[in-house]
Amino acid sequence: MIRISRSGNIMSLMLKPLCIVLLLFAQFGLVWLKSNVTTLEYNISNLEKKKAECLKERKILFAEKAGLQSFESIESSLSGDYGFVFPDRVKVIHVKRQKGSLPYKASLERRQVGGP
Amino acid sequence: MNKKRWIILNTIIIFSFFAVFLRLIDLMILNHKLLSAKAKQQHIKAEDIQARRGAIFDRQGRELALNLELESLYCEPEVINRDDKNIKKLASAMGKEPEVIFTKIPASGKFAWVERKLEPSVAERIRELNIKGIGFMNEAKRIYPKGRLASHILGFVGVDNQALEGIELQYDRYLKARGGKIFFGRDAGGRTLSPGIDKEVKGNNIVLTIDEGLQGIVEKEIEKAMLKWKASAASVIMMDPFTGEILALANRPSHNPNDAGNYRDFEKKNRSITDLYEPGSTFKIVVGVAALEEKITGPDTLYDVSQGGIEVGGKIIRDVHKHGVLTFKEVIQKSSNVGSIMIGMKLGKEKIYKYARLLGVGEKTRIDLPGEVSGWIHPPERWSATSIGAITIGQEVAVTPLQILRAYSAIANGGFLVRPHVVSEIISSEGQMLFSFADKEKNRVISQKTAKTFRQILKGVVWEGGTGGSASVKGNEVAGKTGTAQIIDPITKRYSKQKYVSSFVGFVPADNPRFALIVVVYEPKGQIYGGVVAAPVFRDIADKSLSYLDIPREDNPYETLLVVSR
Repeated sequence: MIRISRSGNIMSLMLKPLCIVLLLFAQFGLVWLKSNVTTLEYNISNLEKKKAECLKERKILFAEKAGLQSFESIESSLSGDYGFVFPDRVKVIHVKRQKGSLPYKASLERRQVGGP
Repeated sequence: MNKKRWIILNTIIIFSFFAVFLRLIDLMILNHKLLSAKAKQQHIKAEDIQARRGAIFDRQGRELALNLELESLYCEPEVINRDDKNIKKLASAMGKEPEVIFTKIPASGKFAWVERKLEPSVAERIRELNIKGIGFMNEAKRIYPKGRLASHILGFVGVDNQALEGIELQYDRYLKARGGKIFFGRDAGGRTLSPGIDKEVKGNNIVLTIDEGLQGIVEKEIEKAMLKWKASAASVIMMDPFTGEILALANRPSHNPNDAGNYRDFEKKNRSITDLYEPGSTFKIVVGVAALEEKITGPDTLYDVSQGGIEVGGKIIRDVHKHGVLTFKEVIQKSSNVGSIMIGMKLGKEKIYKYARLLGVGEKTRIDLPGEVSGWIHPPERWSATSIGAITIGQEVAVTPLQILRAYSAIANGGFLVRPHVVSEIISSEGQMLFSFADKEKNRVISQKTAKTFRQILKGVVWEGGTGGSASVKGNEVAGKTGTAQIIDPITKRYSKQKYVSSFVGFVPADNPRFALIVVVYEPKGQIYGGVVAAPVFRDIADKSLSYLDIPREDNPYETLLVVSR
């Protein structure tokens, strides 16, 4: 003879509504997840639009920078406004940073070209 | 509830469900195809993947050709209200006459361009007008941020970004990208869902051998020369004589590739490789090199040119100035026609022809730019009685400036004929190197000894007493040759007495050349000689370029260092 305890009866009684509640939660969870994914997709889409705008702006700035750095533009502004000229190679001073020396010192050296 | 009501209620419910069921059959089975297509149309949006051309950089990575994203204005003729008020507003925002706008809007149809690639400020002004039936579409506009700089090398594209000239055309298959379509979802409000894919594909980038700094120097000096000599045209090419890398190439007249449609054809022509000219005395290199290679002469062999003229095929060819007895070196240094013809006659026409072909005359250099012509030199069997005299001094032969530069580069580099090129690398849009120029052919055309001897002779041209003294650069030795050639008058079919081509070609520093340079000035006014017209242009370009490249002066073996420490 099988004896079913009272507590077992209560469990089996609670199992069915619990399953239904769980199923409902799972359903809502899925819907919630799907709606969140969609919201994220909208957000990403908006960010992509912003990114495209920024890239567009960046391209314009790049082009402007390239134009400003052109030989013609630099030469005309420097030679016109500031009197810069192409350097005579004798008067060129090469600046070289020396490692491991005392700080804030500068000295002029004359070095044989092609020498050691 | 009584039974009757119960039956009615049940019947209504059953019929309602039945109606829903029928509607479902209608939606899901009978009209499934039509409705699903309609839904797809409403929810799925297709957009073109924007295909953008790759960028073009100089050898230091400085941008020479880029893309901008601009908006193009279109209209829907069936929707737009063509009343005066709207069009006037639109015209004023675009800075145009209303009649011009009217002509662009057809009376019927679904789509018509109003204006392509608008300035961002203009697009904004139009958007604020809020006119029904007009819209904007993003398009890429090719821009050349340095303007005219290197315009003949870069070439240009059309309004639909189709390659039309220069590198743009030659390397189109690498630069252009293939677009395609992208699909993504959208809701009833028109909001789009991210497809998670890049909406833009880029072509490969190209790195040129051109140096913007050197190109700038060349452009500036060629412009000055054009103004000074009121010339009809001019060409300058700077090349690394060892590798064939073109460091700078400029022509005048020129054009701005940003606005190429507004220029005439002759302004867009890259005459450095498409135009032929008779090289004049710069061609004496052929006879000189051949004579040394064939051991017909030595540098100090004497030639009596004191008569000032020589008869060839019944025609007397004269020197510009009378000389006495000249060594072979002096024949080249003073550019004696008589001396050169004497050497040419000793060589014979077959040998002259052989060395001309060896030095690349009459064949394309295979530079990677479109439109190159091969030039010509007739085979010996077609030479007339006077041809040996004419060809020796650079007449009856047609070359491009690049061919002459290549021949002189063979002297500079010890005897190899290099392949000129303007592209050094092709890099994918992700930064991966796809191709790098590598010419494995080492085409020796003359011996190292002859190249060395002739280099010494060419140095003499720039020394005192030579024809190219004004090409000398302070601090570094120049080796080169002047050239002055008459132009054939197209009307009389005879050599013109007014129209000349003046040129100077050489390399510097002479013993360890960093670049070879040719300057060709067409139809200068006031002066005609290469030593007067072209040599100073060579000097100015060379001087600045040596400074730019930081090449030390040979007369100053010391460089000053400012040593700074932290």
